[in-house]
Amino acid sequence: MYTNPFRVLSCLIFLVSISSASLSGQNSDSPKQLSRTFYLKNCFVIPQPGSLLSGQNVIIKDGFISEIGTAVKIPFDAQIVLADSLYVYAGFIDAHSNTGIAKPENKDRAKVQDPGNPPNDVAGITPQISGSDLFKSLDKSVADMRSAGFAIAQVAPRGLMLPGQNSIFLLGEGANDKMLLKSNTSQNFQLEANRGVYPSTSIAILAKFRDLYKNANITGLHEEKFKLNPAGLSRPDYNKELMSMYPVTIKKMPLYFVASRTKDVHKALSLKDELGFDMVLTEVKQGWHYLDRIKKSSIPVLLSLELPEEDKKDTKKEGDAPEKKDSTATKDVKKVVKEEKNPEKDGFDQKKEASIKQYLEQAGLFEKQGVKFGFSYMTVKPADIRKNLRKLIQNGLSENYALAALTTHPAQILGISHLAGTVEKGKIANLVITDKPYFDEKATIKYVFVDGQKYEFTEKTKKTENKPSESGKMVGSWSYTVEIPGSTQKGKIIIKKASGEYKVTVVDDSAPSEEDSASDVIVDGKKITFNITTDMGAPVKVDFDLNFEDKSYTGSISVGQFGSFPIKGDYEGDPKY
Amino acid sequence: MNRLTIVLAVIMPVLLNAQNVLIKNGTVLTITKGVKENSDILVTNGKIARIDKNISAPNGTSIIDATGMFVMPGIIDAHSHIALDVVNEATNPVTAEVNVGDALDPLDVSIYRALAGGVTATHAMHGSANAVGGQCETIKLRYGTVNPDELRMEGAPRTIKFALGENPIRVHGEGNKIMPNTRMGVEQVFRNAFSEAQLYMKDWDDYKKGLRKSSPEYNLRNETMADILKGNIIIHCHSYRADEILMLMRVLKDYNINRICFQHVNEGFKVAPELAAFGAGASVFADWWAYKFEVYYSTAYNAAILTRNGVVTSINSDSEELIRHLYHEAAKTQRYGDLTDDEALALITINPAKQLGIDKRVGSLEVGKDADIAIFKGHPLSVYAVPQKTLVDGQVRFDIEKDPDDTRIDINPNEKYSTFYETERNYENSGCLRGISEMLMQESYAKFMRFKYSQNHTH
Repeated sequence: MYTNPFRVLSCLIFLVSISSASLSGQNSDSPKQLSRTFYLKNCFVIPQPGSLLSGQNVIIKDGFISEIGTAVKIPFDAQIVLADSLYVYAGFIDAHSNTGIAKPENKDRAKVQDPGNPPNDVAGITPQISGSDLFKSLDKSVADMRSAGFAIAQVAPRGLMLPGQNSIFLLGEGANDKMLLKSNTSQNFQLEANRGVYPSTSIAILAKFRDLYKNANITGLHEEKFKLNPAGLSRPDYNKELMSMYPVTIKKMPLYFVASRTKDVHKALSLKDELGFDMVLTEVKQGWHYLDRIKKSSIPVLLSLELPEEDKKDTKKEGDAPEKKDSTATKDVKKVVKEEKNPEKDGFDQKKEASIKQYLEQAGLFEKQGVKFGFSYMTVKPADIRKNLRKLIQNGLSENYALAALTTHPAQILGISHLAGTVEKGKIANLVITDKPYFDEKATIKYVFVDGQKYEFTEKTKKTENKPSESGKMVGSWSYTVEIPGSTQKGKIIIKKASGEYKVTVVDDSAPSEEDSASDVIVDGKKITFNITTDMGAPVKVDFDLNFEDKSYTGSISVGQFGSFPIKGDYEGDPKY
Repeated sequence: MNRLTIVLAVIMPVLLNAQNVLIKNGTVLTITKGVKENSDILVTNGKIARIDKNISAPNGTSIIDATGMFVMPGIIDAHSHIALDVVNEATNPVTAEVNVGDALDPLDVSIYRALAGGVTATHAMHGSANAVGGQCETIKLRYGTVNPDELRMEGAPRTIKFALGENPIRVHGEGNKIMPNTRMGVEQVFRNAFSEAQLYMKDWDDYKKGLRKSSPEYNLRNETMADILKGNIIIHCHSYRADEILMLMRVLKDYNINRICFQHVNEGFKVAPELAAFGAGASVFADWWAYKFEVYYSTAYNAAILTRNGVVTSINSDSEELIRHLYHEAAKTQRYGDLTDDEALALITINPAKQLGIDKRVGSLEVGKDADIAIFKGHPLSVYAVPQKTLVDGQVRFDIEKDPDDTRIDINPNEKYSTFYETERNYENSGCLRGISEMLMQESYAKFMRFKYSQNHTH
């Protein structure tokens, strides 16, 4: 019935949409430390974007930066950190994300008696929920952001239209409550609906918001009046949703409006003009049409660091197929084929390329207009952050501004400039330490300090252990079992090696005649990574990450945006050549 | 083509801000003031400044030679769903508070296609899933902008969608087992909504007069219903059957509401005198029916019968395809009903303008009106008519000769398919939910499809 096994797989994943943490481990360690005093010797310090001090020594004490200078005394109890010629930056600040907030388990959609009038939680109206109650410092996403250099994050609860309130956390491994820097800092709003119940569309979400907003204000004012003098007034009904929204209506709390594409940004700006709340635009991907308006009203902006993928020019596409077939024919025939190329497709490709370019140039454009922006990290993968920043820099963003958008700007937007964002005496000891300037292509992060706690990162060893005898064991035919919630997927992975190159094919039991050839095969010691691409309406990449033991392996596969799933298998025999 | 050229091609219509235009030597079909042969139209600042013979062009005026061509007012479509991201909030029988004006889509290439059919303004409507649907938006087809606000026809009266008959019954009664489950129920939904709004208004009046100390709850739905009661919003009601049309007129009489235009109104020919007496408009299809049970009793003479009975009648598209040849649809009334040229063209110009309350500004070629103009090769009521240029506020937004092949404004950077039909095809087949939903969603599947149907289906 289904020709491609992974199509079924992916669809199952899509439907249940259960996420599980990727298995690829983080290489930080945080041993219990005897002393909370550190001494960083002879390093380059970038106290804030645009300045660099050389030959600096930094002392960290009790979670704070206690001294910076060329001649500082080493405290007797200090741990000396080998930071010679390393670059010390302020720990990065993630101004808005779901870091540390587990994805909710997908429950069956609640049956609602009257879909036009569902309970608030079903409708996605939960402004009373606080991110501070949900944050888990040991969640994998915290470690992922930390290893990307982030020491602070403002985290939002996950949810729909009004998912709840943001709180600011330090991204250390301490107890959840101890990592809390500031709770209930702002409220969130997004055009996300629970399909099938009111409000199920953007127009109803906006209508419902107007309704809630006005009533929050009425309720809040009524309660204040009642407190002063209850005579003649009705006793206020307790309404947790409205009372949580009330601070927004009196500008005591900003509203973070998730606005990715141009029309969303327009909706956000229009609603702000209409109701007058303080707003922060977040997850902005296509906001350049409204740059002037944003600038004029000094609305803080968080640009999404998720960028569109550029088309690889050398990949063979469907349209090129006839040309490929004729590659053995004479040159004359080839020419004819070329002239028959599809001008409509070519025109489209050019337009698309131009469109992608605009997305990449947005940050540089905002800088030129002097709009102070930070970044948000709701959708970007932590591992892509530095790569994407470099793309923005290649497209017109300056390094200094990029660094500011990682440090000082979000500190200002979050109102924590007195605590974080720069490397200064008296600030929280949040630091990122790299071996080369951070934006250098080859730079790697050596240490991250969060709240005076050291996290060390060792470079992935690519060259070592790559002995033929070790990796030779991968060659063979292997079974696989993938556990997807509600289902188990089985099949074979066949690994061959010819003239030093690995070839991997994947065959699912549900369609034994179909082979998927893997690309990007990388063997690193006992580890192999590769991916296959499967078409389920849109192409979806399935990444494999396997670690081999003697006669078995374990690992994970990740399927596009749907999450990653454990995979395991055993050796079955030699591959048939 | 380099990148700059592409960008320029896209924003050209915006850059060509030539609001001073002289359209020379055409056959001017004014609609309201007869036909003027070999005449010129001078446009300044987006308005029609003069219609006369041999006007000399002031400095800085761009000239369009219309020799041998027909110049008519831009076509107005009183029932359309183009340029909208959302059409139906199908979860409640009454959703007066929602407004499709919040979901305008200036990037919709259907706008350009409508311009290519001589259309300059449309009534962007909420769908017909609910008895009281959402508020609608009258828009001008200023294709080329990315800002939704620039589509709005500033100053146009507010309008709202109502719906009778099978659609609200199917979605709510059959779908969710709530009222309305019958045509009687639909009537009661209206009466309840209006009565509730009256109580709501009284609460607020009392509060404002100081008769009560605590503020009543704010309710945007009741606010909107109250605005209808106050006469601030024109009702546009999806309707087919004569009995229901009479029913709604009775309801409106009871609540002293008189601004209404019936949409589709396939059985309007049976109650044309009653519609005329009420002062209701009728916006019909030329010859489209039998797509569901309540739409069988229909005739292509509908528009002509309504017109001759004194009902302000228009012909609409309700379709991104039909909107491209509304002039053909109007011409059908000459085959079925012998309407005059002016009567037939009025069905797609001044009459829909009246129904939307914008006839003081558009719908005919008169001095002082907006320069929304369509230029045709061949008479627009001829089967050989081909639109050549379409101007909105004096700006050329469609030019059959100069426009690039691909006029899409915004290409999603993740878009895979180069053409519209590819996107559509893959949308239809997007295997994922389609194959699996039947297997896994089982009982909710039927409901899902019905929901999907109500989202897409609007006429």
